[in-house]
Amino acid sequence: MAKLKVIAACGSGMGSSQIIKMKLEKVFKKLGLEAEIYHTNVGDAKSQANNYDVVFCSESLVGTFTGTKATVIGLKNLLAEKEMEEKIKANIVDA
Amino acid sequence: MFKEFVEKKHYSFHEGFDDWRDAVRAACAPLLADGTIEKEYPEIIIEKVEELGPYIVIAPNICIPHAERGRGVNDTAMCFMKTEKPVSFDPNDPDKDARIFVVLAATDDEVHLNNLMALSETLSDEDIVAKVLEAKTPEDLLKIEE
Repeated sequence: MAKLKVIAACGSGMGSSQIIKMKLEKVFKKLGLEAEIYHTNVGDAKSQANNYDVVFCSESLVGTFTGTKATVIGLKNLLAEKEMEEKIKANIVDA
Repeated sequence: MFKEFVEKKHYSFHEGFDDWRDAVRAACAPLLADGTIEKEYPEIIIEKVEELGPYIVIAPNICIPHAERGRGVNDTAMCFMKTEKPVSFDPNDPDKDARIFVVLAATDDEVHLNNLMALSETLSDEDIVAKVLEAKTPEDLLKIEE
């Protein structure tokens, strides 16, 4: 699999999205997947989403990304590596 | 992390709030008291949540009120608040109830990133979260081993 381009988004780009990025780095490494991970706010992420393979955000922000070509993955619990792992497997590895 | 909250007086304990907006304001109050933030900061956080939904509730019971850097922030810090009763952000979604609040304020990227790493590591540990939910005083916070 080619190196994935991933963007983590939250309302402000300085809190939740950075936490998602930190967690994703661990989970991607664990799964043996190569990924470049960026983080930003939703407005920015929305305008750039088509340049990325995958967007990760809090579940409550998924609706913002309607119409984008990237795979959008909403997270219920941003601290749960297990949830990220399952969703990466279901939406990226097995997709 | 908890030691720093106590030393800097960046903590508060409350029974509960009927309106999540008041919870965000109360969580920010110690940072306002020592000049880390200006009083517009909690209002900026509230506006963003009204616009986008409760994205600051990052896990069940855990809320990290924060807004974009730049406006209303004078220093980099975190501030802890705990409520006995869950604060509701979405009446239709109990997963978005929160009792542990950690306000983030940032002017320095490196310090902020270290704060976030510590926060994310600590609150990813379910045993620690269970102890934080039991805490009622600053002394209780100091007893929590990270």
